[in-house]
Amino acid sequence: MHAACAGVLLLLVTAGCARVNPDTPEAEPAAAPPSRARTAAPQAASKAAPPAAKTTAAAPALDLKTLEEQLKDTKAIGFFTKITLRNQVDDLLEQFREYYQGKAKLTMKDLRRSYDLLMMKVLSLLQDEDQKLASAIVSSREAIWGLLADPKTFATLRG
Amino acid sequence: MNALTLALAQSLVVAASFAAPPFADDEALKKDLTAVIALHGLPCGQVVDVMEQAESDYAASCKDGNTYRVYLNPAGRVVVEKRK
Repeated sequence: MHAACAGVLLLLVTAGCARVNPDTPEAEPAAAPPSRARTAAPQAASKAAPPAAKTTAAAPALDLKTLEEQLKDTKAIGFFTKITLRNQVDDLLEQFREYYQGKAKLTMKDLRRSYDLLMMKVLSLLQDEDQKLASAIVSSREAIWGLLADPKTFATLRG
Repeated sequence: MNALTLALAQSLVVAASFAAPPFADDEALKKDLTAVIALHGLPCGQVVDVMEQAESDYAASCKDGNTYRVYLNPAGRVVVEKRK
């Protein structure tokens, strides 16, 4: 059962960590000065845009392993719901694949809408009972999209 | 005869205790199926009753009167079928 759930949000999971700067807060505390590593991205952002108040409240983006584990372990989503979400993630990945192969009827805008809807579904399921994970996914949202929307990085998502 | 009656009564009690599903799990299943039906974009509101038909195969009755069969097909997809 857990094995089945493990792949559920492959897309989310894959992205949260991949290539996007390992923000892993708790995963590698000893590797580098944690506070600096964690705040590096927000600092960069705040240079460009002074009102950084919003970013301070958000949870840091998670790395792949951490996010995968948390999605597997969360009790906010039931077994069948996890499988259903995995089906929908697979469908979305297939749409991206067709898009990059030039076979799709969908545009990138359509794909973005599908992605946003899927994210909203996931967040709706999590936000009341696992707010921490919901926040982490919100924080990872654009990074995940960045991976999907780039054909090169998308090609590396599934070997 | 008495011994037989007693044994029968005991086995019935034991069977009954196993037959009663744990309430919490039942509620969790209803919630899970409610989410699944919603994710498929089908009307339901809330699952109020569930009957297990086979492994990973359920008949779900919704608050709004709709009933669905929710099952995991061999391809690993969760399928929701509306029933009459």
